[in-house]
Amino acid sequence: MLTLIRRELLDNLMTFRFAAAVFITMLLVVANTVVLIRNYEQRLESYNTAVKTHQQKVRGTKTYSAGDVVVDRAPNPLSIFNVGLDKRLGNQVAIHHGFVPTLWDAETHGSDTTFLNIFFAIDIVFVFEVVLSLMALLFAYDAIAGEHESGTLRLLLTHPVRRSHILLSKYMSAMVCLLIPLLMSLSLAIILLTGTGSIFLKTADFLRIGGIVFSSVAYMSVFYLIGLLISAVVRRTGTALMVSMFVWGFLVLVYPNVILAALEPLHDSEPRAKSVFSQIQQMWEEFDTEHKAFLINDPVPGESTSFGIGWVGYNFKRFREDSRTLRYYYKAGAHFDEIDERSQPKVPYAQNYYRFLVPLTISTAERTWLVRNQGLKDIFVQPAKIDRTLLKLSPVGIYDAATQAWAGTDLLSIQDFFDAARQYRQTVIDYFYDKEVFESRQWFSADKGAADWRTLPQFSFQRSDIKINAKRALPDLFLLLITNVVLFIIIFLIFIKNEV
Amino acid sequence: MWHIAKRELYDNLNSLRFALTTVLLLALMLTNAVVHLQKHPNRLQKYRASVTKSLDGLKARGDSLYDIAQQGPGLLYKKPSSLRFCADGGEAFLSDVVGGAFLWSISGSSGRLKGFWRLDYPVATPNLINIRPAVTKVDWGFIIGYILSLIALLFTFDSISGEREHGTLRLMLANPIPRHTVLIGKFLGALISIIIPLSLAVLMNLLVISMSSDVHLGVDAWGRLGIIFLIAILYLCLFLALGLLVSARVQRRAVSLVILLLAWVIFVVFMPSTLAAIVSGFSSPMSTDELWKRRGQLYEARFARYDTHLPRESEPSKRMQFEGEHVIQEAQEQERLSHEQLAQKTAQAQFARTITRISPVAIVQHLLESFAGTGFNRHLQFIENTQRYARQFREFVADTDRADPESLHIIGVREGMSQKPVSPDAVPKFEDTLSLSKDFNAAAVDLLLLTLFVIVLLSGAYLAFVRVEV
Repeated sequence: MLTLIRRELLDNLMTFRFAAAVFITMLLVVANTVVLIRNYEQRLESYNTAVKTHQQKVRGTKTYSAGDVVVDRAPNPLSIFNVGLDKRLGNQVAIHHGFVPTLWDAETHGSDTTFLNIFFAIDIVFVFEVVLSLMALLFAYDAIAGEHESGTLRLLLTHPVRRSHILLSKYMSAMVCLLIPLLMSLSLAIILLTGTGSIFLKTADFLRIGGIVFSSVAYMSVFYLIGLLISAVVRRTGTALMVSMFVWGFLVLVYPNVILAALEPLHDSEPRAKSVFSQIQQMWEEFDTEHKAFLINDPVPGESTSFGIGWVGYNFKRFREDSRTLRYYYKAGAHFDEIDERSQPKVPYAQNYYRFLVPLTISTAERTWLVRNQGLKDIFVQPAKIDRTLLKLSPVGIYDAATQAWAGTDLLSIQDFFDAARQYRQTVIDYFYDKEVFESRQWFSADKGAADWRTLPQFSFQRSDIKINAKRALPDLFLLLITNVVLFIIIFLIFIKNEV
Repeated sequence: MWHIAKRELYDNLNSLRFALTTVLLLALMLTNAVVHLQKHPNRLQKYRASVTKSLDGLKARGDSLYDIAQQGPGLLYKKPSSLRFCADGGEAFLSDVVGGAFLWSISGSSGRLKGFWRLDYPVATPNLINIRPAVTKVDWGFIIGYILSLIALLFTFDSISGEREHGTLRLMLANPIPRHTVLIGKFLGALISIIIPLSLAVLMNLLVISMSSDVHLGVDAWGRLGIIFLIAILYLCLFLALGLLVSARVQRRAVSLVILLLAWVIFVVFMPSTLAAIVSGFSSPMSTDELWKRRGQLYEARFARYDTHLPRESEPSKRMQFEGEHVIQEAQEQERLSHEQLAQKTAQAQFARTITRISPVAIVQHLLESFAGTGFNRHLQFIENTQRYARQFREFVADTDRADPESLHIIGVREGMSQKPVSPDAVPKFEDTLSLSKDFNAAAVDLLLLTLFVIVLLSGAYLAFVRVEV
């Protein structure tokens, strides 16, 4: 067995294709890593600026109702490996009592260079997706067919070796050869990563990278086995090569793009969006009716929501809506630096009004959230899930999903952030209730002391635990391994039954 | 020579790769046509609805010249190309609208002065709410640029090295045929055997598209399609020549395939995006944050100037003159700023596109985009159209005002402008157009570059084959 492996290994290592595999993976990984690191640094910088400006802006606001608390999403350093959704989705979202934030309400930091989006973005996993699969097929196509043609297979089988051993040794040695460019290029990438001052990788991150490496090996192995299968079935190198290349083109280039292009027009979510949106609208209309009823019955009948309070400052009241993302919210408040003598007696009315209004806004927002959450799931999440599942019919899709889960750039990990944002909103509301902020004078006016933002709980978000990453990646990894085993068994059966 | 070509052709027609190529190309082109038929009518409908809405808005603005000039003609929309299926050109990332922005009140007592309409270039962020996996669009650009080039390599990698391995090359060269004839024969044989499935696929694609009643292709469009087909063939020649070159230089066909695939992966799959990413790092155009910051500064400076320099109320005519200038200059300043940002962003993308021309797939995609009327250059043309229209619109306002003898001819203030009613129909309408001659200018460089590549590779293949020892 060992002799067999050594023979195969030497055969493979001395070939031109091995040198080519090493050269091309190193070249592409290094070139792209340099670009990706710079891109990450830019995003990190714009994140840091955004955090600072947002904090300053809130601290500078003198009334609670006018303060815009915004939380920011930091770029994920592992997006260098698989960018996933990390870069393109919004990375700042407003926290407001009248509105439950979601992924679809987020905006991007303002350092965008949009025309560059016309170029396709590459990450390290994409390089592996293309190059490793191609290399695996190039190593496999003549493994059986070549020996069959040159007659060495017959010679080999005259020796007292088991066929399973021949197969296994071929597989092992080829995998070793393919591992060399993979590991070399990855270690170069990690050296580049740690070499820059701006990226700090924790131990958990190295474990995540380990997960990515493991998935890459499993992916590579799938393609090697596909090549071996073709080689065992076809038995002529020329034909095996041709079939391998077409299979590669189909699985890597054609299938993922065609299946999604063909499906794209089929998703028509507009009617669903309309019905959900009208439901949400109705809830806010009920809110408005209640609101008006309160104003009619309040101590000073017929007065407007600004209560005629005036001097230096402004009132604001606005509904925002966007039927595409089912967004609908109500924002009202005021920002007065000073209040004149004439308005002083009206302040208690305003306080009374906000004591009523804010809880009502919160409860309406929460009620609409239940409907909206379901609607968003149906309209956005469901089609994306179907797409992902269909993509998994090709190993490329499985590999991509697994590495995204490891890197924490998949949908679930991004949604973790927005879950945290929603939780933070609840914390802020609880904090305001505790301090009786909604009925305080500082809610709308700073004439007797400005709003105190210093004791406001800080938002913090930690990327999910490595265990959770692993849990999300495991189904896909499992799928890759199952594919490996199934392919191996099929090849084994064919090879055993083959006549030489 | 024809004998060799014919022999190659028959060889290929019976081969597995020919069958697989035909199936693959037909399937891809069919998908392309079906998707286009489903999406294009919606696009057109959306465009028409938006244009009508824009025009209705203009009509609803009433017949006052001031209102028309202040609020402008509404949003200006990019006309969708009927050949979008040939090249998608990343249209989703290029905004299809140029907006008119204005401020409701800029200064003056009780917000009497309103900001004037000016051009504004919004950015498209289609991915902000889209969580579906990102994929390449299956347009002709993809089919030709990626799939066809790969197929071309698979047809030629063994054409010389394979024959050498079998020993038939020696046999063939023993006959009294000049070597270049052999090479050209092989080249033509491979070319024709790929053109057959390609033409079949293209014909089926066009048949499906033109049979539909929703999508109409004009004479102009058919001409463009013809040119696109010729470009595809030129591009095909490039990869056939490359395949022959490597095949002639290398002794074994396995090695020749590895080299070719290596070159293909680097040049076709990675080069365009990686180079674009590297090159675009050299310049950093004005970001949105910076744009807004500078907007604020400009606005404040102008506001301060207004407060200090406003003539006293005792001089109403001077005051009005000043206010008119104030409004017009404010709009000009802001427009210049938007334009500056746009120019910086354009320069960055343009530079990246120029550099990526090292890769033949980028060249062919640029060519397809310019003949299909999509993509980046088309976007620039659209912006130019809107700018020309903005000038036209302002001239119309000035001319109408000048034609009225009762007017004070101070544009920017309601009292200073003509009070005569203006018919909304008289206001010039914006129509986005696409001119073939302009496209051709943009495409000429790419076309020359592509031809140059083909000639260099072909002569390289010739030299390699002539010098080869059998």
